[in-house]
Amino acid sequence: MDFWTPFKLAFDLLLAGNAELMGIIGLSLKVSLTAVIISLVIGMPLGAVLASKKFFGAQTLIVISNTFLSMPPVVVGLLIYILISRSGPLGWLDILYTPYAMILAQSVLVIPMSIALSRQIFETLNNEYKPLFTSLGINAIRRIMVLVVDARIALITIGLACFGRAISEVGAVIIVGGNIRHTTRVMTTAIALETSKGELAIAMALGLVLLSIALLVNIASQFLRHYFKKATIDV
Amino acid sequence: MSDNAIIKAEALFIIRNGTAILNEVTTHISKGKNTMLLGHNGAGKSLLLQALHGIITPDSGTISAPPAKSQKMVFQKPILLRRSASRHFDFLCPHLSPTEKIHWFKRAGLMNQMHTPARQLSGGEQQKLAFIGAMASKPDILFLDEPSANLDFEASAKIESLIDHAQKNGATIIMTTHNLAQARRLADHVLFIDHGKIIEDRSAKDFFANPLHDVAKSYIAYHRA
Repeated sequence: MDFWTPFKLAFDLLLAGNAELMGIIGLSLKVSLTAVIISLVIGMPLGAVLASKKFFGAQTLIVISNTFLSMPPVVVGLLIYILISRSGPLGWLDILYTPYAMILAQSVLVIPMSIALSRQIFETLNNEYKPLFTSLGINAIRRIMVLVVDARIALITIGLACFGRAISEVGAVIIVGGNIRHTTRVMTTAIALETSKGELAIAMALGLVLLSIALLVNIASQFLRHYFKKATIDV
Repeated sequence: MSDNAIIKAEALFIIRNGTAILNEVTTHISKGKNTMLLGHNGAGKSLLLQALHGIITPDSGTISAPPAKSQKMVFQKPILLRRSASRHFDFLCPHLSPTEKIHWFKRAGLMNQMHTPARQLSGGEQQKLAFIGAMASKPDILFLDEPSANLDFEASAKIESLIDHAQKNGATIIMTTHNLAQARRLADHVLFIDHGKIIEDRSAKDFFANPLHDVAKSYIAYHRA
């Protein structure tokens, strides 16, 4: 394979607006973005609570979430598979080999990341604000709200990191999604399939598309940071 | 001890690493007076101020004071949220009307900075913002931790006029300072602290005219020089 072939192929596929490729990209984005939103909605408040409140079991929760950070995606995939397979406790949901199962797997994978990263940010912010909060007698809910609002720019970075982990993940989605054409095939599973078929150029082309998406997300994040700074909301 | 006490602290101890950094502190703070906490660096002034305000809990001893809502504190380095000056003020005084807010910004000379991020204001402007945020809710007690440290003459004068305004509105001021000229101008009463102990608890007039302890004498001499 010539070095430039995959690049040429990637451009050709994208420029031609290949329907299957667009479907794969669309599904990848849909699954990963939904998983990121879920992980932020669950992870950020939990991170804020862990950073700002001392309660029984907080340390245990931190240890558990940190352990899940290094959980291999295939193990997450396997756990979700056991849970949602027909005989599993959540079998009644009937979501195995659907995008919902993939969203669930990716959410489980990135929620610990969202908790751990947001906890670090909130902890730093809370240490700074704590004397003011105590002085004003601010209650826990209002503290958490202030922390979330004031850490909003840093939270973009968390969202970005979570998105990066979600969209580049292959082990979990292939187990619970099954890599079914036109249904659950996403970029990473398509790359794995094309590689196994020996279609290295197509696999590489898909990899380049994946990389371009990561680049675009980074540019968007930089733009948002710049916008917030310009809008004098401070960092 | 005054019968007009707004805060009564009895036998306060704060111990860190086996050392008493507040050592059996007992004092009564008179209502409506400006009480100045003086002493060398590390004497325990800021710590006592924070303990009296209730944001640090002493290891032993008791403090009787009005409810936390009627107390406000301005920190040496203002703690500012990551938002505009106006929105930071809203956080400090959520129940104030827009007209009242504008009144306070005008009073502090911060009208042109209302929409500037609070943390991008100059040191003096940040301190003034913290001040009006504390004063606007008309607290009974205002705790000030070195309110004009690192500020130039003009900013210090503005801060002093705000302190004066707060006192005229009935607030009891309790503050720390290293600025002896400022202490002389503002203080009604002085607590001189040395190694975590109050060694002089007297009227400002008496203290400055005739400090009883050598350490207080040398402190005054040093800061006069």
